Amino acid sequence: MLLYLIKRVVLAIAIVVVAVTLLFLMIRALPGDPAAVLLGPRATPEMKAQLHEQMGLDKPFVVQLAAFFGGLLNGDLGFDVFSRRPVADIVFEQLPYTIELILVSILWAVSVAVPLGCYSAMRRNSVIDQVVGVVAVATMAIPSFVVAVYALLIFAVMLGWLPAIGAGNGLWDRLIHLILPSLAIGISWVGYVSRLVRASMLEILGETHIRMARSFGISEWRIVARYALPLAILPTVTILGVGIAWLLSSAVFIEVVFARPGIGALIVNAVNTRNYPIVMGTVLVTTFLIVAATTISDLINGALDPRTREKL
Amino acid sequence: MNDVVGSVSRRAFLKTGATLGGGIMAAGMPLSQAIWAAEGKVLTARANQDVDKLDPAFYLGAVNSEVMSCIYSKLIRYKPGSEWSWELEAAEKIEQVDPTHIRFQLKKGIKFSNDYGELTVRDVKFSFERVIRLDSPSNFDWGPLDHVEVEDDYTGVIVFKTPFAPAWTLALPYGAGHIVSEDAVMKAAKDGGPFGMTPTAFSGPYVFADWKPNQHVLLTRNPEWSGPKPGFDEIRILPIGDIKTAERAYQAGDIDFTHISVDSLANFKSNSPADTTIEEKPSIGIVYVGMNIDHPKLKDINVRKAIQWAINVPQILDAAYAGQMEVATGSLARGLIGYRDKALVPPEGDLAKAKESLEKAGVSDFTVTVDCLNQSEFLTIAQVLQAQLSQIGVTAEINAQDSGSFYTIGMESEGDRWKDMQLIVQSFSNVPEPYYFSATYTRDQIGKWNWERFSSERFDELNAKAITIDDPNERAKLYREMQDLMEDSGAYRYLTNGASPFMYRTTRMQPATRPDGVPHYVAFKPV
Repeated sequence: MLLYLIKRVVLAIAIVVVAVTLLFLMIRALPGDPAAVLLGPRATPEMKAQLHEQMGLDKPFVVQLAAFFGGLLNGDLGFDVFSRRPVADIVFEQLPYTIELILVSILWAVSVAVPLGCYSAMRRNSVIDQVVGVVAVATMAIPSFVVAVYALLIFAVMLGWLPAIGAGNGLWDRLIHLILPSLAIGISWVGYVSRLVRASMLEILGETHIRMARSFGISEWRIVARYALPLAILPTVTILGVGIAWLLSSAVFIEVVFARPGIGALIVNAVNTRNYPIVMGTVLVTTFLIVAATTISDLINGALDPRTREKL
Repeated sequence: MNDVVGSVSRRAFLKTGATLGGGIMAAGMPLSQAIWAAEGKVLTARANQDVDKLDPAFYLGAVNSEVMSCIYSKLIRYKPGSEWSWELEAAEKIEQVDPTHIRFQLKKGIKFSNDYGELTVRDVKFSFERVIRLDSPSNFDWGPLDHVEVEDDYTGVIVFKTPFAPAWTLALPYGAGHIVSEDAVMKAAKDGGPFGMTPTAFSGPYVFADWKPNQHVLLTRNPEWSGPKPGFDEIRILPIGDIKTAERAYQAGDIDFTHISVDSLANFKSNSPADTTIEEKPSIGIVYVGMNIDHPKLKDINVRKAIQWAINVPQILDAAYAGQMEVATGSLARGLIGYRDKALVPPEGDLAKAKESLEKAGVSDFTVTVDCLNQSEFLTIAQVLQAQLSQIGVTAEINAQDSGSFYTIGMESEGDRWKDMQLIVQSFSNVPEPYYFSATYTRDQIGKWNWERFSSERFDELNAKAITIDDPNERAKLYREMQDLMEDSGAYRYLTNGASPFMYRTTRMQPATRPDGVPHYVAFKPV
């Protein structure tokens, strides 16, 4: 297991380095100049040159990239010349809002989807199974921003029960502000995960050890919870790891619709203004998050099913 | 059922939820102001972006200026209302002594917060000269400022190298005219350089109490303020980039003042939220179709004229803005010095004249590109333009781009894209001073911000002369001629100066705005 862990971590670091380098190249290939966008129409060439120098844009590309990674080794993500604040401060100020949104979305989606999937598998082809199936596919087909807009109209505008915008202050208020955004992001995951759990569960429930458990007279719910679910949940754990990337991209829309602070909104603004230090800082952090999530899900899979360790 | 649902307020809903679902947990938690906060004189308003610089020497954009006008004093400020004029703020009196000298006398007793003492002419001198000394983008606002003479603590003279009429319409009442404390800035930043988002002393009715990036700006009363007491105890400004989100937030009761989109205007007018007034103010920006004069396809003025005449402006505005926008007669909007009563080319255009111009040019059936921002209004404009040009045998290909890419298309410093640029749907915000617009189209701006590469010696002469004339009527004549020259070059087809509708809750406030709808929070009154 230790060797597997080391291999996974080395691979994760390599992925982060390659991904960040590629994104660095792609962002610089886009036309646009941060000085032109952010200094406005009255900036003189001298002012622009000064800004380029402050941002290190006057140096060759390779030097810029080396400086970025060199800074990283010292825990420095760079400096935002516009707000005159360290990039790390800006990114880590916004990051908790996105992480809490993603976590709450996953948590509520999984807590609803797993029991639904199990129940559907146990009552295969029953009316409830069919209804759950139709609803699950329907929720998967609806984009999160559509859910967001309707949820906002119904619960915030028409009923006035929940806040429409912002992230709130204090634990309770922040939770209240998370209800609608996490509903929008999580709802399609309910459908997706419930179908996934159902399919895995059906496969597992047909296996020999489950039939043997039944022959011992163990109750169906106990069989599902104790013997089938730990195996049936494996594909879900893998998908959730990969799904972090998808959730992050959903968060970009949701943070705009609900005017929430967060890393998604930060990336959009930074790309539009070609604020390279912020773009690189956010890209690095999100890449790290995605790689960390997939690595953790692989490690969990490896712990639950030793056969997967041999594949690396 | 509706009555039951309608009677359940958010507060009641959340209280019930807390009691039933998490009452025990919630008992130990800090409860939200949104749920149990006491009602006070709090103004909650939307800004279209977050603040990023509260340094008058480096400010950019209206939002920074709106906040700065609450926390710093200026000698004069724009007067709220429907006509452009100014009123005294920190100045007891102020006058143009001669074309290059403005004498002012400060009100006594205006204090900086945090024990930085009284606002004196020394601070005025430091603030204004700092803009020039630091060579910031804001130094455009101060034009030929030379220095400020200190006569005593309360009397000073602003001295320009050459006459500068925009001092009264741009420099003094707007962003670069805010006065900061010399002692505080010298302490906060090396050599009094940029201090960004960390102002340390305030000379306005409010102080910058809290800022959570992308969440809110919180302004509270300045305890040191000795002037007229502003109406609200607290101002919360929420940055909401998407205007539709802002509309929903207003409907949900999260904000009490917001601008609304033009395409929502008709809907809100016919079905306005409860206790709401909707006001329509004209904007002072400009949206136009520009043409790159130096592009081989557009070098012939007859081709450009053909495109001008082929464009039916009302049709475009109907499609892009649901017919809620007024047709522009030029770069300068109604109410500004230099506004023209009508454009040279009538709004509807004339297809026969367009075809005639193309025949004169000896070209037919050619393709042009149209660059625009990837936002729905500009895409719609480009699409209608595409349809209109097809009527004279011109095929238009649309290149929609994000703002980072779009705002460098015409810049020579950014590569050769300017050479390929042909037609462009351009949009600029403006300030209530025509010099701000005209300075963009001079010859020295070609390849910088003059992307149409319009070149006129006469225009440059008029531009230089117009800022030296005091008489607004005389200035207006020059600016009208400048717009005529631009339009006559065939490179510009003006579409609209925009609109600035907003709504507010009448049970909460009586707002005060500039003629273009920009809020003047200090003058808002609670109801």
